[in-house]
Amino acid sequence: MTARVDPNLHREIARFGGHDVDLCMNCGNCTAICPLSEESGGSFPRRVIHLLQVGRTEKLMQTVDPWLCYYCGECSESCPRDANPGETMMATRRYLTARYDWTGLAGLFYRSAAAEIAALALVGLFVAALFVLFHGPVITGHVELNTFAPVHWVELGDLVMAAALTFFLLTNAARMAWMFMGGTEMFKISPAVYLRQVPVFLSHFFTQKRWRRCGSGGSQKRWLTHVILVSGYLSMLTLVLVLLRWFQTDRVYAVYNPQRLWGYYATAALLYGTVNFMVSRWRKADPMHRFSEASDWIFLVMLFLTALTGIVMHALRIAGLPMATYIAYVIHLAIAVPMLVVEVPFGKWAHLFYRPLALYLTSVKEAGASRVKAPVEAAA
Amino acid sequence: MSGEKKKIGVFICHCGGNISDYVDVEKVREEAEKEPGVVLAKTTMFACSDAAQQEMIEAIQKENLDGIVVASCSPKLHLYTFRAMAERAGLNQYRYTQVNLREQCSWSHRDDKEGATTKGASLVRAGIAKVRLSESLENSRVDTLPAVLVVGAGVAGMRAALALADLGLSVHIVETENEPGGWTAKLGPAFPSNRDGAELVRNLREAIQTRQNIALYTGAHVAEKSGSVGQFSVRVRLSSGESLQLKVGAVIIATGFDAYAPAKGEFGYGLPGVLTLPEFRHMLKTARGPLVFNGRRLGTVAYLYCVGSRQEPDEGHPNAHTYCSRTCCAAAVHTALLVNGLDPEVNQYHLFRDMRTYGKNELLYEEAGRKGSVFVRWDPGDPPEVQEEKGRMMVRVADLLDAGERIEIPADLVVLVTGMVPRPNQDLVHVFKLPLGKDGFFNEIHPKLRPVETVISGVFIAGASQSPKTIAESVASSLAAVSKSAALLLKGYVELEPFVARVDTARCTGCNECLAACPYDALEKTTEDGRQAVRVAASLCKGGGACVPVCPEGAIDLLGYSDSEVTEMIDALAREAVHA
Ligand SMILES: Cc1cc2nc3c(=O)[nH]c(=O)nc-3n(C[C@H](O)[C@H](O)[C@H](O)COP(=O)(O)OP(=O)(O)OC[C@H]3O[C@@H](n4cnc5c(N)ncnc54)[C@H](O)[C@@H]3O)c2cc1C
Ligand code: SF4
Ligand code: SF4
Repeated sequence: MTARVDPNLHREIARFGGHDVDLCMNCGNCTAICPLSEESGGSFPRRVIHLLQVGRTEKLMQTVDPWLCYYCGECSESCPRDANPGETMMATRRYLTARYDWTGLAGLFYRSAAAEIAALALVGLFVAALFVLFHGPVITGHVELNTFAPVHWVELGDLVMAAALTFFLLTNAARMAWMFMGGTEMFKISPAVYLRQVPVFLSHFFTQKRWRRCGSGGSQKRWLTHVILVSGYLSMLTLVLVLLRWFQTDRVYAVYNPQRLWGYYATAALLYGTVNFMVSRWRKADPMHRFSEASDWIFLVMLFLTALTGIVMHALRIAGLPMATYIAYVIHLAIAVPMLVVEVPFGKWAHLFYRPLALYLTSVKEAGASRVKAPVEAAA
Repeated sequence: MSGEKKKIGVFICHCGGNISDYVDVEKVREEAEKEPGVVLAKTTMFACSDAAQQEMIEAIQKENLDGIVVASCSPKLHLYTFRAMAERAGLNQYRYTQVNLREQCSWSHRDDKEGATTKGASLVRAGIAKVRLSESLENSRVDTLPAVLVVGAGVAGMRAALALADLGLSVHIVETENEPGGWTAKLGPAFPSNRDGAELVRNLREAIQTRQNIALYTGAHVAEKSGSVGQFSVRVRLSSGESLQLKVGAVIIATGFDAYAPAKGEFGYGLPGVLTLPEFRHMLKTARGPLVFNGRRLGTVAYLYCVGSRQEPDEGHPNAHTYCSRTCCAAAVHTALLVNGLDPEVNQYHLFRDMRTYGKNELLYEEAGRKGSVFVRWDPGDPPEVQEEKGRMMVRVADLLDAGERIEIPADLVVLVTGMVPRPNQDLVHVFKLPLGKDGFFNEIHPKLRPVETVISGVFIAGASQSPKTIAESVASSLAAVSKSAALLLKGYVELEPFVARVDTARCTGCNECLAACPYDALEKTTEDGRQAVRVAASLCKGGGACVPVCPEGAIDLLGYSDSEVTEMIDALAREAVHA
């Protein structure tokens, strides 16, 4: 099969931060130095860059290579043309994320920080407006949060939001699978194979375990920071989406109560992770943090603010300041909700989801292929 | 023989072990000493050293030697060193013979020291035999005319003319076309400076016009040549039909190259969307903004490299151009930069085999990439195909940088990056008796050490007539040819080695058999005491010796390599073979 090229792809990728694709002369130094490329049988990052240069859009959609890269940045350091292969891989992931998203919002947000900030502000104002219009009785004698914001209403809102998020994530995941597997080709593999490979997705989603092997020094620590951040993030999601009734109580439990301990852990993990990554991006300490697009900052800042406002509100509540607590609560939600609604399906967070998905789909492809091949081998 | 009364000295060199590690030089010396006429045989650590040369000079003078042998390295290295040494000692330089004990003996027989020693002794014995019969010879001297003929008025020819004129020599330039300038004038801006080639040529032409001692003949052809180095006489046919007889001391050939002309259908050549690089450059010359091609704004260009270069000999090309034209990679990326300057929106695909933008042109390659040119590498065993589809060109190629996957590039224009081929120079070859290389370009004597001289003394080659070259390289070689011509002509005379044919007129019957054998027309008919005979024009004779064996009377001999000398040498070698 001969593939038609799209001469505009390298211009397109520049809009996602891949500004240096044209500099690459395909020498392959980056691939040679990449600690992950060889063991995954790939030829990245060089080949990904070549696909971008030549304009192999379709093949790019079907290759797992961009998702195998965890951006240790060693390639960028070894590139004789300063073509920033690592950043190109990152830009490719942004591009792919935008292509998977059928709403077009992901692409819009990557290309325009203003649009992303406007969307966040809009959702935030909407949340604040809901509270201004529909809040419960305001008890000022002492803190009674569940009267101001009845937990079953908040929970309902949570569920609506979760349903929306799930809808977007799943439809985009389906689109990704469709593109990745080559359209109708995806139905040629039996559903049993898809099912059997699910653990691959789970283990990569929760651990991002390949990351540890990326780069020579320091990546172990980065990976650990990332794991801590993810655990804080998932704790937060569990507490507010699944266990809200248990978590949002008017009664202040003892410090060692699991409700408080888990909450503290989630907050501490979020703070530790976001501050760590923000400092690194600010100092441009790691190669992967040398080129920050606006979208990278926004997600970190939103997460950080979510944790921070959570702490402030908690402190005010312990201190017994009713009005201040209610206001802090509204602000907290006006940050946390847009952070989830905008970032999870359309923003930076989404790539945490697509990466294990790509690895999962690849193992499905491989398993599917080996099943097809088996009879041939048997015959031979 | 009479020669046996001569006093001969033999010097055998260790070459610091290069020879003496494998050849027992002492043994060779002992053997040499036994030869008749040898009055002195010595070994020396480095014969070429100043001290050793001084010792030899003293020995020649003290022993009053009539001839010497130095058994050392190849004569290519030190023949002239030791000839000069002999002259300093007051001995005629042609009474000296060099025996190659290193390249032809010690280095080639490292595994057999005894055999090497035996062979070494034989070689020295042969050298002694030659010296014994050698005669004192004198170089001949020819006065030179302070004028040069430059054939071809491209950059190479024009630049040479200016430099020659500034050295005080008169110059005649003969150019077949009606305008001077060659390719440089036709291609628009030239790398690396981006100066317009036409402007470059205009400047050269204006400078030429200010020189009194340069005459430029356009629309003219070289028709005939007689004479030899220092004293050529060349007939030139002018555009008017008249002829002109030019007298010059040297000739510089600077006739340049032709662009490869693809056959119809070769990579789609002949289709409306396929041009060669020179054709495309011609189109670019008048462009000022976004390019329009075949009535459409140019969207995508595909350059196809190595067309007409690096061909496989068995690809069905009887005269395959197997060499790399070396300038076309740079010309193609440079063209892409020109296109980008006119319209940055144009997509440019470069389908190359190997990127040979050597030297500073590497920067052009990098710059082209930076400006968005895309490079796709292909395998000569699986070359790209060009077809017309729905009014556009479709280029299909196996992309080596992506494991040979097949891609297709829809292009508005396909540019065949054609190489440089030799001009059809048969006329010049015939007139000047110039040798061509296997590739069809003019050939130098030695690619490294004598890069602009030809085997015809006084005829030099310059520019792309010798091999594919950029403008800078063409000019560099043309200036090298200038300095070689000036070194020849400014002295006022040339000395020629005396190794020419000699006709024994007493034996010559005037049958003229030899005349046809000489490739240099150096033999001419004459009358001797009222008899028909043949005479040698010493300045034309190259000492090739083709005439010697055809003479039925054995009347021709070659000075320095006479029949008797060579026979004696063979006898001396055979003597050892019998012993062994
Ligand atoms: C597409 C293309 C782009 C190029 N771009 C560049 C560039 O950007 N920079 C660069 O440095 N180089 C470039 N080159 C190379 C450059 O053109 C050559 O280096 C240069 O032209 C060589 O000069 P020349 O005088 O040796 O030969 P030519 O330019 O070929 O001139 C030879 C002259 O001799 C005349 N002639 C031929 N035969 C006879 C005869 N029998 N009697 C009398 N006259 C004769 C011809 O008419 C011509 O005028 C390019 C070449 C090509 C094909
Ligand atoms: S990105 Fe750099 S190191 Fe990698 S192939 Fe390209 S030029 Fe070479
Ligand atoms: S210079 Fe480049 S295009 Fe020209 S023959 Fe050599 S490799 Fe081919």
